[in-house]
Amino acid sequence: MKADRRTFLKGAAATTGVFALGAPAVLGQAKPKVVVIGGGPGGATAAKYIARDAKGALEVVLVEPLKEFVTCFHSNLYLGGFKTFEEITHTYDKLPGYGVTLAHQMASAIDRDKKQVRLADGVTLSYDRLVVSPGIDLKYDSVPGWGKEHEETMPHAWKPGAQTKLLKAKLDAVPDGGVIVMIAPDNPYRCPPGPYERVSMMAHVLKTAGKTKAKIVIIDPKKTFSKQGVFQEGWEKHFPGMVEWLAPDIHSGLKGVDPKTNTVETGFETYKNCALVNVIPKQTAGKIALDAGLANESGFCPIKPETMQSAKDDNIYVLGDATIAGDMPKSAFSANSQAKVAALMVRGELTKSPTFPARYANTCWSLITTDDTIKVGGSYAAKDGKISAIDTFVSKAGESAALRKENQVENMGWYSGITNDMLG
Amino acid sequence: MSERGARPKTLVALGLGLAGLILFPAEASAADPAYGEYLSSECVSCHRRDGQDKGIPPIVGWPPEQFIAVLQSYKTKDRKNEVMQTITGRLSDDDMAALAAFYGSLKPAP
Repeated sequence: MKADRRTFLKGAAATTGVFALGAPAVLGQAKPKVVVIGGGPGGATAAKYIARDAKGALEVVLVEPLKEFVTCFHSNLYLGGFKTFEEITHTYDKLPGYGVTLAHQMASAIDRDKKQVRLADGVTLSYDRLVVSPGIDLKYDSVPGWGKEHEETMPHAWKPGAQTKLLKAKLDAVPDGGVIVMIAPDNPYRCPPGPYERVSMMAHVLKTAGKTKAKIVIIDPKKTFSKQGVFQEGWEKHFPGMVEWLAPDIHSGLKGVDPKTNTVETGFETYKNCALVNVIPKQTAGKIALDAGLANESGFCPIKPETMQSAKDDNIYVLGDATIAGDMPKSAFSANSQAKVAALMVRGELTKSPTFPARYANTCWSLITTDDTIKVGGSYAAKDGKISAIDTFVSKAGESAALRKENQVENMGWYSGITNDMLG
Repeated sequence: MSERGARPKTLVALGLGLAGLILFPAEASAADPAYGEYLSSECVSCHRRDGQDKGIPPIVGWPPEQFIAVLQSYKTKDRKNEVMQTITGRLSDDDMAALAAFYGSLKPAP
Protein backbone atom coordinates (compact mmCIF):
# COMPACT_ATOMS: atom_id res chain seq x y z
CA MET A 1 0.00 0.00 0.00
CA LYS A 2 1.29 3.40 -0.82
CA ALA A 3 1.78 5.59 2.19
CA ASP A 4 -0.66 8.20 0.98
CA ARG A 5 -3.41 5.63 0.77
CA ARG A 6 -3.34 4.86 4.45
CA THR A 7 -5.25 7.90 5.46
CA PHE A 8 -7.44 7.68 2.43
CA LEU A 9 -8.74 4.16 2.77
CA LYS A 10 -10.11 4.60 6.24
CA GLY A 11 -12.89 2.16 5.64
CA ALA A 12 -10.76 -0.56 4.10
CA ALA A 13 -10.42 -3.89 5.77
CA ALA A 14 -7.20 -4.34 7.68
CA THR A 15 -4.45 -5.67 5.47
CA THR A 16 -0.83 -6.49 5.70
CA GLY A 17 0.02 -2.98 4.62
CA VAL A 18 1.70 -3.78 1.33
CA PHE A 19 -0.24 -4.37 -1.88
CA ALA A 20 1.43 -6.15 -4.69
CA LEU A 21 1.22 -4.18 -7.88
CA GLY A 22 0.06 -6.26 -10.76
CA ALA A 23 -0.48 -9.94 -10.19
CA PRO A 24 -3.37 -11.18 -8.09
CA ALA A 25 -2.35 -11.90 -4.54
CA VAL A 26 -1.44 -15.39 -3.50
CA LEU A 27 -2.11 -17.07 -0.20
CA GLY A 28 -0.77 -15.19 2.76
CA GLN A 29 -0.46 -11.92 0.90
CA ALA A 30 -2.76 -8.95 0.51
CA LYS A 31 -6.17 -9.33 -1.08
CA PRO A 32 -6.55 -8.72 -4.80
CA LYS A 33 -7.74 -5.21 -5.43
CA VAL A 34 -10.60 -4.00 -7.57
CA VAL A 35 -11.08 -0.31 -8.30
CA VAL A 36 -14.39 0.86 -9.77
CA ILE A 37 -14.58 4.28 -11.41
CA GLY A 38 -18.07 5.83 -11.49
CA GLY A 39 -20.98 5.44 -9.08
CA GLY A 40 -23.85 5.19 -11.56
CA PRO A 41 -25.94 2.15 -12.44
CA GLY A 42 -22.90 0.35 -13.88
CA GLY A 43 -20.23 1.18 -11.33
CA ALA A 44 -22.30 1.12 -8.16
CA THR A 45 -23.85 -2.22 -9.11
CA ALA A 46 -20.47 -3.71 -10.01
CA ALA A 47 -18.85 -2.53 -6.77
CA LYS A 48 -21.71 -3.86 -4.66
CA TYR A 49 -21.89 -7.24 -6.39
CA ILE A 50 -18.13 -7.81 -6.43
CA ALA A 51 -17.71 -6.90 -2.76
CA ARG A 52 -20.84 -8.67 -1.54
CA ASP A 53 -20.21 -11.90 -3.39
CA ALA A 54 -16.46 -12.00 -2.75
CA LYS A 55 -17.30 -12.09 0.97
CA GLY A 56 -14.15 -10.29 2.01
CA ALA A 57 -11.78 -12.00 -0.44
CA LEU A 58 -11.31 -8.84 -2.49
CA GLU A 59 -10.67 -5.21 -1.68
CA VAL A 60 -13.16 -3.07 -3.59
CA VAL A 61 -12.90 0.72 -3.87
CA LEU A 62 -15.61 2.77 -5.59
CA VAL A 63 -14.32 6.10 -6.90
CA GLU A 64 -17.13 8.61 -7.30
CA PRO A 65 -16.82 12.35 -6.67
CA LEU A 66 -20.44 12.93 -5.69
CA LYS A 67 -21.81 11.94 -2.31
CA GLU A 68 -25.37 11.99 -3.59
CA PHE A 69 -26.44 10.22 -6.75
CA VAL A 70 -29.25 11.85 -8.73
CA THR A 71 -30.64 9.34 -11.20
CA CYS A 72 -30.83 10.40 -14.81
CA PHE A 73 -33.51 7.75 -15.18
CA HIS A 74 -36.83 9.15 -13.94
CA SER A 75 -35.44 12.70 -14.09
CA ASN A 76 -38.09 13.21 -16.78
CA LEU A 77 -40.68 12.25 -14.17
CA TYR A 78 -39.32 15.04 -11.99
CA LEU A 79 -39.67 17.36 -14.96
CA GLY A 80 -43.26 16.26 -15.41
CA GLY A 81 -44.12 16.71 -11.74
CA PHE A 82 -44.54 12.98 -11.07
CA LYS A 83 -41.58 12.77 -8.70
CA THR A 84 -39.78 15.16 -6.38
CA PHE A 85 -36.07 15.83 -6.71
CA GLU A 86 -35.58 14.09 -3.38
CA GLU A 87 -37.18 10.96 -4.79
CA ILE A 88 -34.54 10.72 -7.50
CA THR A 89 -31.66 11.46 -5.12
CA HIS A 90 -29.84 8.62 -3.34
CA THR A 91 -26.80 8.13 -1.14
CA TYR A 92 -24.05 5.51 -1.18
CA ASP A 93 -24.39 4.89 2.56
CA LYS A 94 -25.33 1.22 2.31
CA LEU A 95 -22.39 0.15 0.13
CA PRO A 96 -19.73 0.04 2.88
CA GLY A 97 -21.91 -2.57 4.57
CA TYR A 98 -21.18 -4.89 1.62
CA GLY A 99 -17.44 -4.25 1.88
CA VAL A 100 -17.15 -1.39 -0.59
CA THR A 101 -14.75 1.39 0.32
CA LEU A 102 -16.01 4.75 -0.93
CA ALA A 103 -13.55 7.24 -2.37
CA HIS A 104 -15.45 10.47 -2.97
CA GLN A 105 -12.89 11.84 -5.39
CA MET A 106 -12.67 12.44 -9.09
CA ALA A 107 -10.54 9.85 -10.85
CA SER A 108 -8.14 11.96 -12.87
CA ALA A 109 -6.07 9.38 -14.76
CA ILE A 110 -5.55 5.68 -15.39
CA ASP A 111 -2.03 4.33 -15.82
CA ARG A 112 -2.65 1.05 -17.59
CA ASP A 113 0.99 -0.03 -17.53
CA LYS A 114 1.35 0.43 -13.80
CA LYS A 115 -2.25 -0.65 -13.17
CA GLN A 116 -2.95 2.43 -11.12
CA VAL A 117 -5.68 5.05 -10.87
CA ARG A 118 -4.73 8.56 -9.84
CA LEU A 119 -7.32 10.58 -7.99
CA ALA A 120 -7.78 14.34 -8.12
CA ASP A 121 -6.34 14.74 -4.63
CA GLY A 122 -3.11 13.03 -5.72
CA VAL A 123 -3.81 9.67 -4.10
CA THR A 124 -2.87 6.68 -6.24
CA LEU A 125 -4.81 3.43 -6.13
CA SER A 126 -3.35 0.28 -7.60
CA TYR A 127 -5.59 -2.42 -8.98
CA ASP A 128 -5.60 -6.01 -10.13
CA ARG A 129 -8.80 -5.37 -12.07
CA LEU A 130 -10.33 -2.00 -12.91
CA VAL A 131 -13.98 -1.36 -13.72
CA VAL A 132 -14.56 1.84 -15.70
CA SER A 133 -18.12 3.12 -15.75
CA PRO A 134 -17.78 6.87 -16.32
CA GLY A 135 -21.00 7.50 -18.26
CA ILE A 136 -20.96 10.10 -20.98
CA ASP A 137 -19.36 13.44 -21.64
CA LEU A 138 -21.10 16.04 -23.78
CA LYS A 139 -19.62 17.27 -27.05
CA TYR A 140 -20.07 20.96 -26.49
CA ASP A 141 -18.82 21.75 -29.99
CA SER A 142 -21.43 19.63 -31.78
CA VAL A 143 -24.14 22.30 -32.01
CA PRO A 144 -23.15 25.47 -33.91
CA GLY A 145 -23.42 28.55 -31.70
CA TRP A 146 -23.73 26.59 -28.49
CA GLY A 147 -21.09 25.68 -25.91
CA LYS A 148 -20.55 25.00 -22.24
CA GLU A 149 -20.84 28.72 -21.51
CA HIS A 150 -24.41 28.60 -22.81
CA GLU A 151 -25.69 25.65 -20.82
CA GLU A 152 -27.40 27.96 -18.33
CA THR A 153 -29.28 29.77 -21.10
CA MET A 154 -29.99 26.72 -23.22
CA PRO A 155 -29.79 23.79 -20.80
CA HIS A 156 -29.03 20.23 -21.87
CA ALA A 157 -30.13 18.50 -18.66
CA TRP A 158 -28.56 15.34 -20.07
CA LYS A 159 -26.51 14.88 -16.92
CA PRO A 160 -28.56 14.89 -13.74
CA GLY A 161 -28.37 17.52 -11.03
CA ALA A 162 -28.47 21.31 -11.28
CA GLN A 163 -29.23 21.14 -15.01
CA THR A 164 -32.31 19.02 -14.32
CA LYS A 165 -33.62 21.63 -11.89
CA LEU A 166 -32.80 24.44 -14.29
CA LEU A 167 -34.74 22.83 -17.13
CA LYS A 168 -37.73 22.30 -14.82
CA ALA A 169 -37.69 25.95 -13.73
CA LYS A 170 -37.51 27.13 -17.32
CA LEU A 171 -40.28 24.77 -18.38
CA ASP A 172 -42.56 25.95 -15.60
CA ALA A 173 -41.98 29.56 -16.74
CA VAL A 174 -42.97 28.94 -20.38
CA PRO A 175 -45.99 31.15 -21.15
CA ASP A 176 -49.10 29.99 -22.98
CA GLY A 177 -48.33 30.40 -26.65
CA GLY A 178 -44.57 30.03 -26.03
CA VAL A 179 -42.39 27.88 -28.26
CA ILE A 180 -40.03 25.24 -26.90
CA VAL A 181 -37.38 23.88 -29.26
CA MET A 182 -35.55 20.67 -28.48
CA ILE A 183 -32.36 19.91 -30.38
CA ALA A 184 -32.35 16.11 -30.32
CA PRO A 185 -29.05 14.21 -30.54
CA ASP A 186 -27.83 11.89 -33.26
CA ASN A 187 -27.05 8.26 -32.46
CA PRO A 188 -25.45 6.93 -30.37
CA TYR A 189 -26.50 8.69 -27.20
CA ARG A 190 -27.59 8.06 -23.62
CA CYS A 191 -31.20 6.91 -23.25
CA PRO A 192 -32.64 6.58 -26.78
CA PRO A 193 -36.29 7.25 -25.77
CA GLY A 194 -35.25 9.96 -23.30
CA PRO A 195 -35.71 13.05 -25.51
CA TYR A 196 -39.19 11.93 -26.50
CA GLU A 197 -40.30 11.07 -22.98
CA ARG A 198 -38.99 14.51 -22.04
CA VAL A 199 -41.10 16.13 -24.75
CA SER A 200 -44.10 14.20 -23.42
CA MET A 201 -43.45 15.47 -19.90
CA MET A 202 -43.06 19.04 -21.19
CA ALA A 203 -46.40 18.78 -22.98
CA HIS A 204 -47.99 17.23 -19.89
CA VAL A 205 -46.81 20.13 -17.72
CA LEU A 206 -48.00 22.73 -20.22
CA LYS A 207 -51.39 21.10 -20.67
CA THR A 208 -51.88 20.65 -16.93
CA ALA A 209 -51.18 24.38 -16.49
CA GLY A 210 -53.75 25.19 -19.19
CA LYS A 211 -51.06 26.38 -21.61
CA THR A 212 -52.34 24.41 -24.58
CA LYS A 213 -51.34 27.12 -27.05
CA ALA A 214 -47.69 26.45 -26.27
CA LYS A 215 -45.81 24.34 -28.77
CA ILE A 216 -42.83 22.00 -28.68
CA VAL A 217 -40.73 21.59 -31.82
CA ILE A 218 -38.19 18.77 -32.03
CA ILE A 219 -35.31 19.32 -34.46
CA ASP A 220 -34.03 15.80 -34.99
CA PRO A 221 -30.98 14.69 -36.97
CA LYS A 222 -32.43 11.15 -37.02
CA LYS A 223 -34.97 9.84 -39.50
CA THR A 224 -36.60 7.63 -36.88
CA PHE A 225 -36.48 7.34 -33.10
CA SER A 226 -37.13 4.87 -30.30
CA LYS A 227 -40.80 3.90 -29.76
CA GLN A 228 -41.68 6.46 -32.43
CA GLY A 229 -45.10 5.10 -33.38
CA VAL A 230 -46.43 4.94 -29.85
CA PHE A 231 -44.91 8.25 -28.83
CA GLN A 232 -46.48 10.02 -31.77
CA GLU A 233 -49.80 8.29 -31.19
CA GLY A 234 -49.70 9.46 -27.58
CA TRP A 235 -48.85 13.05 -28.52
CA GLU A 236 -51.79 13.20 -30.93
CA LYS A 237 -54.12 11.67 -28.38
CA HIS A 238 -53.14 13.69 -25.32
CA PHE A 239 -51.58 16.86 -26.69
CA PRO A 240 -53.13 17.55 -30.10
CA GLY A 241 -51.28 20.25 -32.01
CA MET A 242 -48.72 20.81 -29.26
CA VAL A 243 -45.82 18.63 -30.45
CA GLU A 244 -44.13 18.86 -33.84
CA TRP A 245 -41.37 16.39 -34.67
CA LEU A 246 -39.21 17.39 -37.62
CA ALA A 247 -37.09 14.79 -39.36
CA PRO A 248 -33.94 15.93 -41.20
CA ASP A 249 -35.64 15.85 -44.59
CA ILE A 250 -38.15 18.39 -43.25
CA HIS A 251 -35.90 20.81 -41.36
CA SER A 252 -32.99 20.45 -43.81
CA GLY A 253 -30.41 20.50 -41.06
CA LEU A 254 -29.68 22.56 -37.96
CA LYS A 255 -27.79 25.70 -38.97
CA GLY A 256 -27.17 26.86 -35.44
CA VAL A 257 -28.49 28.44 -32.26
CA ASP A 258 -28.07 31.93 -30.83
CA PRO A 259 -28.26 31.85 -27.02
CA LYS A 260 -28.38 35.68 -26.83
CA THR A 261 -31.75 35.81 -28.58
CA ASN A 262 -32.92 32.25 -27.91
CA THR A 263 -33.03 31.62 -31.62
CA VAL A 264 -32.78 28.31 -33.45
CA GLU A 265 -32.12 28.33 -37.17
CA THR A 266 -32.70 25.39 -39.48
CA GLY A 267 -32.63 25.10 -43.24
CA PHE A 268 -36.42 25.15 -43.11
CA GLU A 269 -37.36 27.74 -40.53
CA THR A 270 -35.95 30.09 -37.92
CA TYR A 271 -37.47 30.03 -34.44
CA LYS A 272 -36.89 33.39 -32.70
CA ASN A 273 -37.43 34.33 -29.06
CA CYS A 274 -38.07 30.76 -28.00
CA ALA A 275 -39.49 30.37 -24.52
CA LEU A 276 -37.07 27.50 -23.96
CA VAL A 277 -34.36 25.84 -26.01
CA ASN A 278 -33.21 22.41 -24.82
CA VAL A 279 -29.96 21.45 -26.54
CA ILE A 280 -29.06 17.77 -26.25
CA PRO A 281 -25.63 17.59 -27.88
CA LYS A 282 -23.64 14.65 -29.21
CA GLN A 283 -21.88 12.55 -26.64
CA THR A 284 -18.76 10.48 -26.04
CA ALA A 285 -17.61 8.08 -23.37
CA GLY A 286 -16.55 9.85 -20.18
CA LYS A 287 -13.23 11.68 -20.55
CA ILE A 288 -11.21 9.36 -18.36
CA ALA A 289 -12.01 6.45 -20.68
CA LEU A 290 -10.92 8.50 -23.70
CA ASP A 291 -7.72 9.64 -21.97
CA ALA A 292 -6.89 6.03 -21.05
CA GLY A 293 -7.18 4.98 -24.69
CA LEU A 294 -10.15 2.72 -24.04
CA ALA A 295 -12.32 4.25 -26.79
CA ASN A 296 -12.05 3.87 -30.54
CA GLU A 297 -12.62 6.48 -33.23
CA SER A 298 -16.35 6.53 -32.42
CA GLY A 299 -15.65 8.06 -29.02
CA PHE A 300 -17.05 5.01 -27.22
CA CYS A 301 -15.34 1.93 -25.81
CA PRO A 302 -15.31 -1.45 -27.55
CA ILE A 303 -15.80 -4.39 -25.19
CA LYS A 304 -15.63 -8.16 -25.32
CA PRO A 305 -19.28 -9.24 -25.32
CA GLU A 306 -18.57 -12.42 -23.37
CA THR A 307 -17.19 -10.57 -20.34
CA MET A 308 -17.53 -6.76 -20.66
CA GLN A 309 -13.72 -6.58 -20.66
CA SER A 310 -12.25 -3.71 -22.62
CA ALA A 311 -11.26 -4.84 -26.10
CA LYS A 312 -8.05 -2.90 -25.49
CA ASP A 313 -7.03 -4.08 -22.00
CA ASP A 314 -7.89 -7.40 -20.34
CA ASN A 315 -7.37 -5.95 -16.87
CA ILE A 316 -10.11 -3.38 -17.41
CA TYR A 317 -13.87 -3.83 -17.67
CA VAL A 318 -15.98 -1.05 -19.17
CA LEU A 319 -19.68 -0.67 -18.47
CA GLY A 320 -22.75 1.29 -19.39
CA ASP A 321 -23.18 4.36 -21.57
CA ALA A 322 -19.42 4.57 -22.26
CA THR A 323 -19.40 1.26 -24.13
CA ILE A 324 -20.19 0.01 -27.60
CA ALA A 325 -22.62 -2.63 -26.40
CA GLY A 326 -23.86 -3.98 -29.70
CA ASP A 327 -27.65 -4.14 -29.79
CA MET A 328 -28.07 -2.94 -26.20
CA PRO A 329 -29.16 0.68 -25.78
CA LYS A 330 -27.39 3.10 -23.47
CA SER A 331 -29.66 2.83 -20.47
CA ALA A 332 -29.46 2.44 -16.71
CA PHE A 333 -31.03 -0.99 -17.06
CA SER A 334 -28.34 -2.03 -19.55
CA ALA A 335 -25.51 -0.72 -17.36
CA ASN A 336 -26.91 -2.53 -14.33
CA SER A 337 -27.20 -5.74 -16.37
CA GLN A 338 -23.68 -5.43 -17.78
CA ALA A 339 -22.32 -4.78 -14.29
CA LYS A 340 -23.50 -8.17 -13.09
CA VAL A 341 -21.70 -9.93 -15.92
CA ALA A 342 -18.52 -7.98 -15.18
CA ALA A 343 -18.84 -8.66 -11.44
CA LEU A 344 -19.12 -12.38 -12.10
CA MET A 345 -16.10 -12.39 -14.40
CA VAL A 346 -13.93 -10.23 -12.11
CA ARG A 347 -14.59 -12.56 -9.19
CA GLY A 348 -13.96 -15.53 -11.44
CA GLU A 349 -10.56 -14.16 -12.39
CA LEU A 350 -9.46 -13.04 -8.94
CA THR A 351 -11.04 -15.60 -6.61
CA LYS A 352 -11.60 -18.52 -9.01
CA SER A 353 -15.32 -18.46 -8.27
CA PRO A 354 -17.57 -20.11 -10.90
CA THR A 355 -18.43 -18.17 -14.04
CA PHE A 356 -21.31 -18.66 -16.46
CA PRO A 357 -22.09 -17.45 -19.96
CA ALA A 358 -22.91 -13.74 -20.09
CA ARG A 359 -26.58 -12.83 -20.38
CA TYR A 360 -27.96 -9.36 -20.58
CA ALA A 361 -31.37 -7.70 -20.47
CA ASN A 362 -32.91 -4.28 -20.87
CA THR A 363 -36.30 -2.62 -20.50
CA CYS A 364 -36.99 1.10 -20.87
CA TRP A 365 -40.34 2.49 -19.76
CA SER A 366 -41.42 5.95 -20.94
CA LEU A 367 -44.25 7.97 -19.44
CA ILE A 368 -46.35 9.98 -21.92
CA THR A 369 -48.89 11.36 -19.46
CA THR A 370 -50.66 10.18 -16.31
CA ASP A 371 -51.18 6.41 -16.46
CA ASP A 372 -49.99 6.11 -20.06
CA THR A 373 -46.62 4.38 -20.13
CA ILE A 374 -44.99 2.58 -23.05
CA LYS A 375 -42.02 0.26 -22.98
CA VAL A 376 -39.32 -1.35 -25.07
CA GLY A 377 -36.98 -4.15 -24.10
CA GLY A 378 -35.02 -7.21 -24.96
CA SER A 379 -32.78 -10.06 -23.93
CA TYR A 380 -29.21 -10.19 -25.21
CA ALA A 381 -26.20 -12.48 -25.35
CA ALA A 382 -22.69 -12.58 -26.79
CA LYS A 383 -23.08 -13.66 -30.39
CA ASP A 384 -21.39 -12.86 -33.70
CA GLY A 385 -18.67 -10.88 -31.95
CA LYS A 386 -21.00 -8.42 -30.23
CA ILE A 387 -23.83 -8.22 -27.72
CA SER A 388 -26.72 -9.36 -29.90
CA ALA A 389 -30.45 -9.21 -29.29
CA ILE A 390 -32.04 -12.61 -28.68
CA ASP A 391 -35.60 -11.33 -28.41
CA THR A 392 -37.09 -7.85 -28.28
CA PHE A 393 -40.48 -6.19 -27.81
CA VAL A 394 -41.99 -2.73 -28.03
CA SER A 395 -45.39 -1.33 -27.04
CA LYS A 396 -47.94 -1.26 -29.82
CA ALA A 397 -50.32 1.40 -31.04
CA GLY A 398 -53.88 1.05 -29.84
CA GLU A 399 -53.09 -0.76 -26.59
CA SER A 400 -55.70 -0.57 -23.83
CA ALA A 401 -55.59 2.14 -21.18
CA ALA A 402 -55.49 -0.63 -18.57
CA LEU A 403 -52.27 -2.06 -20.02
CA ARG A 404 -50.64 1.37 -20.21
CA LYS A 405 -51.57 1.97 -16.57
CA GLU A 406 -50.07 -1.41 -15.60
CA ASN A 407 -46.91 -0.36 -17.43
CA GLN A 408 -46.68 2.73 -15.24
CA VAL A 409 -47.04 0.70 -12.04
CA GLU A 410 -44.25 -1.51 -13.42
CA ASN A 411 -42.14 1.54 -14.25
CA MET A 412 -42.34 2.82 -10.69
CA GLY A 413 -41.67 -0.68 -9.35
CA TRP A 414 -38.61 -1.04 -11.56
CA TYR A 415 -37.19 2.23 -10.25
CA SER A 416 -37.52 0.97 -6.71
CA GLY A 417 -35.99 -2.37 -7.73
CA ILE A 418 -32.97 -1.07 -9.62
CA THR A 419 -32.05 1.62 -7.13
CA ASN A 420 -32.30 -0.98 -4.37
CA ASP A 421 -30.22 -3.38 -6.45
CA MET A 422 -27.51 -0.76 -6.99
CA LEU A 423 -27.43 1.03 -3.68
CA GLY A 424 -29.78 -0.63 -1.19
CA MET B 1 -44.04 -31.22 -11.26
CA SER B 2 -42.81 -33.68 -8.65
CA GLU B 3 -39.97 -34.68 -10.93
CA ARG B 4 -38.92 -31.06 -11.37
CA GLY B 5 -39.23 -30.47 -7.68
CA ALA B 6 -36.91 -33.36 -6.92
CA ARG B 7 -34.23 -32.47 -9.41
CA PRO B 8 -32.65 -29.53 -7.64
CA LYS B 9 -31.51 -31.43 -4.54
CA THR B 10 -29.42 -33.91 -6.48
CA LEU B 11 -27.76 -31.26 -8.53
CA VAL B 12 -27.21 -28.93 -5.61
CA ALA B 13 -25.20 -31.72 -4.01
CA LEU B 14 -23.29 -32.30 -7.22
CA GLY B 15 -22.65 -28.61 -7.66
CA LEU B 16 -21.37 -28.17 -4.12
CA GLY B 17 -19.08 -31.13 -4.53
CA LEU B 18 -17.53 -29.76 -7.67
CA ALA B 19 -17.31 -26.18 -6.57
CA GLY B 20 -14.49 -26.81 -4.18
CA LEU B 21 -12.35 -28.57 -6.73
CA ILE B 22 -12.56 -26.95 -10.11
CA LEU B 23 -13.71 -23.90 -11.94
CA PHE B 24 -17.18 -24.49 -13.29
CA PRO B 25 -17.46 -25.22 -16.96
CA ALA B 26 -19.46 -22.83 -19.10
CA GLU B 27 -22.45 -25.14 -19.16
CA ALA B 28 -23.73 -24.87 -15.63
CA SER B 29 -25.56 -27.66 -13.89
CA ALA B 30 -29.26 -27.13 -13.28
CA ALA B 31 -29.65 -26.28 -9.65
CA ASP B 32 -26.18 -25.11 -8.85
CA PRO B 33 -26.99 -22.45 -6.27
CA ALA B 34 -24.34 -20.09 -7.63
CA TYR B 35 -25.90 -20.41 -11.07
CA GLY B 36 -29.38 -19.78 -9.67
CA GLU B 37 -28.10 -16.71 -7.89
CA TYR B 38 -26.39 -15.47 -11.05
CA LEU B 39 -29.59 -15.95 -13.07
CA SER B 40 -31.51 -14.13 -10.35
CA SER B 41 -29.37 -11.05 -10.95
CA GLU B 42 -31.57 -10.53 -14.00
CA CYS B 43 -34.71 -10.62 -11.82
CA VAL B 44 -33.57 -8.29 -9.06
CA SER B 45 -33.36 -5.28 -11.37
CA CYS B 46 -37.14 -5.17 -10.96
CA HIS B 47 -38.21 -7.69 -8.31
CA ARG B 48 -36.65 -6.48 -5.08
CA ARG B 49 -34.47 -9.11 -3.44
CA ASP B 50 -35.81 -8.11 -0.02
CA GLY B 51 -39.30 -9.15 -1.13
CA GLN B 52 -40.87 -5.70 -0.79
CA ASP B 53 -43.70 -4.86 -3.19
CA LYS B 54 -43.14 -1.40 -4.67
CA GLY B 55 -45.12 -2.00 -7.83
CA ILE B 56 -43.55 -5.22 -9.08
CA PRO B 57 -44.67 -8.47 -7.41
CA PRO B 58 -42.32 -10.02 -4.84
CA ILE B 59 -40.97 -13.45 -5.87
CA VAL B 60 -38.92 -14.52 -2.86
CA GLY B 61 -39.82 -17.59 -0.84
CA TRP B 62 -42.17 -19.15 -3.40
CA PRO B 63 -42.51 -22.94 -3.53
CA PRO B 64 -40.26 -24.06 -6.43
CA GLU B 65 -43.09 -25.87 -8.25
CA GLN B 66 -45.18 -22.71 -8.32
CA PHE B 67 -42.20 -20.59 -9.32
CA ILE B 68 -41.51 -22.86 -12.29
CA ALA B 69 -45.17 -23.03 -13.29
CA VAL B 70 -45.45 -19.25 -13.40
CA LEU B 71 -42.25 -18.90 -15.43
CA GLN B 72 -43.52 -21.54 -17.86
CA SER B 73 -46.83 -19.70 -18.26
CA TYR B 74 -44.94 -16.59 -19.40
CA LYS B 75 -42.69 -18.61 -21.69
CA THR B 76 -45.74 -20.17 -23.38
CA LYS B 77 -47.28 -16.67 -23.48
CA ASP B 78 -50.35 -17.83 -21.56
CA ARG B 79 -49.61 -14.99 -19.17
CA LYS B 80 -49.37 -11.58 -20.78
CA ASN B 81 -46.43 -9.44 -19.92
CA GLU B 82 -43.89 -8.67 -22.62
CA VAL B 83 -41.02 -8.14 -20.20
CA MET B 84 -41.59 -11.51 -18.56
CA GLN B 85 -42.24 -13.24 -21.87
CA THR B 86 -38.91 -11.94 -23.17
CA ILE B 87 -37.01 -12.88 -20.02
CA THR B 88 -38.49 -16.40 -19.83
CA GLY B 89 -38.19 -16.97 -23.57
CA ARG B 90 -34.59 -18.08 -23.19
CA LEU B 91 -34.87 -19.85 -19.83
CA SER B 92 -34.40 -23.61 -20.15
CA ASP B 93 -36.03 -26.07 -17.75
CA ASP B 94 -32.71 -26.29 -15.94
CA ASP B 95 -32.46 -22.49 -15.71
CA MET B 96 -35.94 -22.38 -14.21
CA ALA B 97 -35.09 -25.11 -11.73
CA ALA B 98 -31.97 -23.26 -10.63
CA LEU B 99 -33.90 -20.01 -10.23
CA ALA B 100 -36.74 -21.69 -8.38
CA ALA B 101 -34.31 -23.36 -6.00
CA PHE B 102 -32.54 -20.07 -5.33
CA TYR B 103 -35.70 -18.03 -4.78
CA GLY B 104 -37.27 -20.81 -2.74
CA SER B 105 -34.33 -20.54 -0.35
CA LEU B 106 -34.85 -16.81 0.28
CA LYS B 107 -37.07 -15.39 2.95
CA PRO B 108 -38.80 -12.03 2.70
CA ALA B 109 -37.24 -9.31 4.82
CA PRO B 110 -39.20 -8.80 8.06
